[in-house]
Amino acid sequence: MDRRQFVKATAISGASASLAACGNPEEQLVRFISDEPLPPGLAVTRRSVCPLCPAGCGVEVRVMEGDVEVVRDGVRGIVKKGLAKKLEGLPGHPVNRGRLCARGQAAIQVTYHPDRVRQPLRRTGDRGSGAFAPVSWDEALAELAARLEALLQDGDPRGLRFLTRPLRSRRGVVISEFLERFGAPAPVVVDLFGDAVLRQANLESFGFHQLPTLDIAQSRYVVSFGADILGTWNSPVAQSVGYGELRQGRPGIRGKFVQVEFRMSQTGANSDQWVAARPGTEGFLALGMARAILASGRRSPSDGGRAGELIEGWSDGLQAYAAEAVEQVTGVPAATVEQLGREFADNGPAIAVIAGVPLAQTNGLFNALAVNALNALAGSVGVPGGVRFTPVLEGLRGLDAAGETIETLARSILETPAGGAPPVDVLLVHDANPVFGAPPAWGVGEALARVGFIASFGSFQDETSAMADLILPDHSFLEALVDHVPEAGTARAAASAARPAMRPLHDTRDMADVMLDVGRRLALDLPTEWETYEDVARERFEALPPPEGFDSAWIAAQANGVWIGPEAPVPEPASFPDVRPRAYAAPEFDGGADAYPFHFLPYVSQAFLDGSLAHLPWLQELPDVVTTAMWSSWVELNPRTAAELGVEAGDLVEVRSAHGALQAPALIFPGIAPDAVAMPMGQGHENFTRYATGRGANPVRVLAPTVEPETGGWAWAATRVTIARLEGAGDLVRFGGALREHPDLER
Amino acid sequence: MPRWGMAVDLDRCTGCEACVTACHAENNIPTVGPEEAARGRAMHWIRVERYWEGEFPDVRLTFRPVFCQQCDNAPCEPVCPTYASYHTDEGLNAQVYNRCIGTRYCANACSYNVRFFNFHNPEWDRPLDLQLNPDVSVREVGVMEKCTFCIQRINAARIDARAETEEGRIEDGTLQPACAQSCTANALVFGDLDDADSRVSRLSRSPRGSKLLEELGAEPSVTYLQKGDWDESGGG
Amino acid sequence: MNLAADKRITDELLKPLQGSSRRYRLTVAALMLVVSAGVAAWAVQMYSGIGLTGLNSPVFWGFYLVNFVFWIGISHAGTLISAILRIVDAGWRRPVTRCAEAITAFALLIGGVLPLIHLGRPWLFYHLIPFPDGRGLWPNFRSPLMWDFFAINTYLLASTLFLFLPMIPDFALVRDRASGIRRTIYGWLAMGWQGTPRQWNRLESAMHIMAIAIIPIAVSVHTIVSFDFAMAVVPMWHSTIFGPYFVVGAIFSGIAALIIAMALLRRLLRLEAYLQPLHFDKLGKLLLTMSLLWAYFVFAERLTVWYGNEITEMPVFWATFTGEYAPAFWIMVAGNFVLPAVLLSTKRTRTVAGCVVASVGVVVGMWLERFLIVIPSLSYRQLPYTWGSYAPGWTEIVVMVASFAAMALLYCVFVKFVPIISIWELKSGNDMDDAPHIVEAEARDAAAGPVPARGEAS
Ligand SMILES: Nc1nc2c(c(=O)[nH]1)N[C@H]1C(S)=C(S)[C@@H](COP(=O)(O)OP(=O)(O)OC[C@H]3O[C@@H](n4cnc5c(=O)[nH]c(N)nc54)[C@H](O)[C@@H]3O)O[C@H]1N2
Ligand SMILES: Nc1nc2c(c(=O)[nH]1)N[C@H]1C(S)=C(S)[C@@H](COP(=O)(O)OP(=O)(O)OC[C@H]3O[C@@H](n4cnc5c(=O)[nH]c(N)nc54)[C@H](O)[C@@H]3O)O[C@H]1N2
Ligand code: SF4
Ligand code: SF4
Ligand code: SF4
Ligand code: SF4
Ligand code: SF4
Repeated sequence: MDRRQFVKATAISGASASLAACGNPEEQLVRFISDEPLPPGLAVTRRSVCPLCPAGCGVEVRVMEGDVEVVRDGVRGIVKKGLAKKLEGLPGHPVNRGRLCARGQAAIQVTYHPDRVRQPLRRTGDRGSGAFAPVSWDEALAELAARLEALLQDGDPRGLRFLTRPLRSRRGVVISEFLERFGAPAPVVVDLFGDAVLRQANLESFGFHQLPTLDIAQSRYVVSFGADILGTWNSPVAQSVGYGELRQGRPGIRGKFVQVEFRMSQTGANSDQWVAARPGTEGFLALGMARAILASGRRSPSDGGRAGELIEGWSDGLQAYAAEAVEQVTGVPAATVEQLGREFADNGPAIAVIAGVPLAQTNGLFNALAVNALNALAGSVGVPGGVRFTPVLEGLRGLDAAGETIETLARSILETPAGGAPPVDVLLVHDANPVFGAPPAWGVGEALARVGFIASFGSFQDETSAMADLILPDHSFLEALVDHVPEAGTARAAASAARPAMRPLHDTRDMADVMLDVGRRLALDLPTEWETYEDVARERFEALPPPEGFDSAWIAAQANGVWIGPEAPVPEPASFPDVRPRAYAAPEFDGGADAYPFHFLPYVSQAFLDGSLAHLPWLQELPDVVTTAMWSSWVELNPRTAAELGVEAGDLVEVRSAHGALQAPALIFPGIAPDAVAMPMGQGHENFTRYATGRGANPVRVLAPTVEPETGGWAWAATRVTIARLEGAGDLVRFGGALREHPDLER
Repeated sequence: MPRWGMAVDLDRCTGCEACVTACHAENNIPTVGPEEAARGRAMHWIRVERYWEGEFPDVRLTFRPVFCQQCDNAPCEPVCPTYASYHTDEGLNAQVYNRCIGTRYCANACSYNVRFFNFHNPEWDRPLDLQLNPDVSVREVGVMEKCTFCIQRINAARIDARAETEEGRIEDGTLQPACAQSCTANALVFGDLDDADSRVSRLSRSPRGSKLLEELGAEPSVTYLQKGDWDESGGG
Repeated sequence: MNLAADKRITDELLKPLQGSSRRYRLTVAALMLVVSAGVAAWAVQMYSGIGLTGLNSPVFWGFYLVNFVFWIGISHAGTLISAILRIVDAGWRRPVTRCAEAITAFALLIGGVLPLIHLGRPWLFYHLIPFPDGRGLWPNFRSPLMWDFFAINTYLLASTLFLFLPMIPDFALVRDRASGIRRTIYGWLAMGWQGTPRQWNRLESAMHIMAIAIIPIAVSVHTIVSFDFAMAVVPMWHSTIFGPYFVVGAIFSGIAALIIAMALLRRLLRLEAYLQPLHFDKLGKLLLTMSLLWAYFVFAERLTVWYGNEITEMPVFWATFTGEYAPAFWIMVAGNFVLPAVLLSTKRTRTVAGCVVASVGVVVGMWLERFLIVIPSLSYRQLPYTWGSYAPGWTEIVVMVASFAAMALLYCVFVKFVPIISIWELKSGNDMDDAPHIVEAEARDAAAGPVPARGEAS
């Protein structure tokens, strides 16, 4: 009997003993020798980067030894392993300064999720049915390589596409390089609720194709046009840290925060002044403020610089934007417009920021340009306490949306006549779920169904990876080498890097390593020094200047969790795109106001963002701070509207647009305009783990495919709907909050 | 002997609820699932209350994080027949899970409603249980639980401090409960109220400070700093 | 003295002890089934967790404690009434006392179990018992629940004794007429009773002491039960009126329960000759008095709350007055006040039937009163964010039904083993002689053998 046989024999007798004893089977498991020596009971600290949103907050991981059930050589047993126990914000990180948001805290559940894909899977049922069977990595990779080989043989390398969400790590380089060597088009970056419009505006106004870094901490006045700066947008932790300082961080100085929106968000709730402007008119309001400033003589048009020049009528003092006109268009009282303008000019450094609903309009780009002009007029751009741009690290930029979008890709597939070969034969999907997130009119699901072969790197089955023929599960962020270069959130250049915080729990592989492996199988001409992803990541970090006390930026980044660039002036943009001044055009909505009386304002959920986090139980049970709802979907109605419709809290209502309908319970919401209804994104998954599947409704189902015409950004807030009361009550679970729910009780 | 306390700056708090998830992660607080949550059994040792005022468009929404106020004169203590809810030397209201028989009297007596009951045995779908913090015990069915000010961190810090310095003093700022550590707006400040120079004592003396339901006389160790007003002179 | 009448009394009152009908056995079986269902529900609840109830945050107390307070209230029927009537030596009390005292003992047994069922971890209930242990841990005597623990146990002990003492001569009577195992058992229960003058004297003085001692005990018990609520700073619990309010409510519901029990016994055991309309008339008057007292307390409580207009109390006030709990509130008022006031104030309707109808109204009303004390206050605590509501879970309903079945079962069994009307007391009823039974005993001693009892029928 050799050792292996002996272990097997013990396992079998252990199993039968456990059956006989009917006790805890885990007490009967074989105990394997750990290959990872850790001090028992003591915590070690490792580093990582939060993967849940593009902000890229630095993470400190508390790792302790624990027992894990594993299968080794076909034997079930227990082994001691270093396990991540708790995530904290990395104290020295310039973006999050030791803090994490609620999602970042929950990110650890990604790793331990019970429904993670634990080994490669091959589809056994219909596409989307979710029926898969395990295969070995060897088989799976051979199959993928064969499909790709066939494309090369057929001389059709352009039949390969790669779908990914925006990537701010060097994995983007691996993907791009692979596709380039293969001869395939550039990756299709899926960023449905992204900020393409704002990046374009910033490029036109300031010469930076990136999101702004808001120096709120040193500011004295912040006006946000629809931007959920404290909740979900851009770099929310960095912005919240700054907001705390704005309010109470400086003796004798307390900044003011104004929020402009039509539905009160978590961010709006924190404002000192809340201003309800009609959706799509926010740019008009910003220019009304600018006009008030100009008219009062506090600033002159030339202060607006290039950003001002992009607005028609700027040099003439914005005659068209008189306060009364603003009141007409936006619904904001003329006196408020004047007051905001005056305060903005007098309380510098001041910040105006725009995102969300105002940009998701047919006139989104104009709204953004208007706010940029207001910032420029107040002298807020590039100064402490104003709007800044994080220095770009060449070669570490990451992957942003450019060129082909999921919309154009889907259309090109669907436009192929029946019987013809669609332009995409092999599709690789990484961390994107457009089947769930894209408007139905784009037909993403139907298009994917026509693709010859789909492989997904998903850690979970979701609506998109369920369409795949192969699932090649990626490591979780804690199990992988991570690197990240923030686009915003810090005034200094920064780049995070960290080794895996723990060993993989399951039979997973790093997506980048898989791509490199497949590249080798196909004999693609990838750099020979790229053996593993670590080689790729190290390469560019080593080109960065090492900080004091370190030989290389790579080592420093790992030691501190982040490499921080030298304090350097923001480079002047070299050239601006050649664009002409623009004039305000009223936003256009899908669905006439008569047939569809309500603005439909979906919003990125505090817990689930666009829905990609709906699988985490901590976030499902996190009471939405504004509505206190958990595990639910809901439609927010103004109390007056609800009364008119005869709807009470919890009643099931139907939301119908020209593109579809959904049902969800009503929630009476004092902070929304009577002619608007709002709904959080994130629920309504058909297939996304036990915690999210079949729960609630997906607002995207009723959204029009309208786009902002100049950037192609999806105008997801430009749909109008009807509301009808249905029989019965919906599943609305709430944690608390009784004031409005008991209108009979005055308190 | 330190006397632990917290200051909650309502002018900073954004309602982001990072504190809520951080507390779940640190303290092995189970999720109960949608059905049980609908029955009112969700557990959040710290919650962010919200209150509406006014009507659109002149509507206000305010947030208030509420967790155990670690009352000096804690009404949850005398009512507990088994001393499961008791007062520590350091001014904390501690909960001895092993002694608790589940009368739920303490939960009624606590006007802040921050005590949570295990109506069922907690469950973690495997392998979510691998995340459990080994420094914190898992509570079984029938046991009352609540915010402990992360007593496991206090104890660890005390042990470290005793190892490092003669008098074993825990330096202000070196010890943070999980909620305060994650708080994105730095709205939660924890420390020793008996140390006149600690951040928390300075904040607790602020004119903006008040206690929650102060009139009930429970003498909470948590001070809420009211929202400031903006005026153009720059003060606040 | 009328020997024939004596014998008739003895025969009639001992008749239920001599065998049982099929109907009786079926009833007992059915009641046992329901009680077992209650026990099973508790077992399932222990296995699965108290989550099977409808309890939640913020309503941490529900049906179990509603029923606890209700049954402890019912328990005040007996002992207290019988003690007062004994002290004032109301002659009409004689046929009433034992069935009243029995209610007390059984209601206390049932009431006393409910807090255990209510515990999250009943298997650790012994943490409530003061015993020296290695860790020097004692229960917390500052907790009203500990006061409860002692008060209820004291009351249970005292009222069991109070029930038991006057049963001794009757046990002896049964013993003397029985044979075999029955004789042995009743022999134990009779504790060697021979009816000697010394024994009569001792019994008399023991009863006197008990009757006086049990009144403060009973008053204290329901005062302490009220303290479970009044000591907590919960809106509309934290009230100085709760002590007397609870005591009055307890006696009130107790009398109603007694009237119902008497009416049933009268009917089922054919005791019309003993439990006469006169008794119902007198108890009816007492019930009316308590109804008025109760109404006064409710009025005083609610008026002060309403006038005080305290921000934390008004939500509870309105929830019970016009809100979600208003139906329960107004049914309670109808049952506890309107119905008794209408039926019991005139002689014409203060009949046996009238008294029973009023009593049913009072029992329902008093149950609702307990519900209205426990639940609405917990639903509307100080912080509106935490407001909630409550509906019982299935275990709570099953256990509640079982608690009523247990009462009926204990009573059914009791009447088969103990004469439900105190035979010796009844016989000594109209005898103004200081100690007729002593004379009787002497005569028996002289006759050296069982002598037919002597006395007068009332
Ligand atoms: N279920 C359960 N688990 C527990 C505990 C419990 O109460 N219940 N208690 C916990 C505690 S407090 C402790 S300390 C641990 C103890 O856990 P262990 O250290 O595992 O203790 P034992 O099982 O008592 O002893 C271990 C082995 O040492 C062997 N042995 C005895 N003397 C010698 C010797 O001189 N030399 C050598 N080489 N071997 C020797 C014994 O035969 C036995 O096989 O268990 C912990 N685990
Ligand atoms: N015969 C024999 N004797 C032994 C040993 C042996 O192997 N064989 N092993 C020795 C060893 S290694 C050890 S460590 C000792 C262990 O001996 P003890 O320390 O006595 O350990 P236990 O009996 O496990 O636990 C003591 C009590 O603590 C209670 N308790 C549990 N949790 C808590 C809590 O949180 N707070 C408080 N206050 N009480 C709690 C338990 O209910 C129990 O009553 O025994 C030693 N004695
Ligand atoms: S903002 Fe939150 S989700 Fe985004 S990276 Fe930071 S911690 Fe993660
Ligand atoms: S807040 Fe409640 S639980 Fe905490 S000490 Fe005070 S009374 Fe006790
Ligand atoms: S529930 Fe536990 S801690 Fe609370 S009073 Fe009862 S025994 Fe004490
Ligand atoms: S102090 Fe600790 S236990 Fe209390 S709320 Fe904060 S994290 Fe939770
Ligand atoms: S983490 Fe801080 S800012 Fe966020 S809700 Fe909690 S207390 Fe408020």
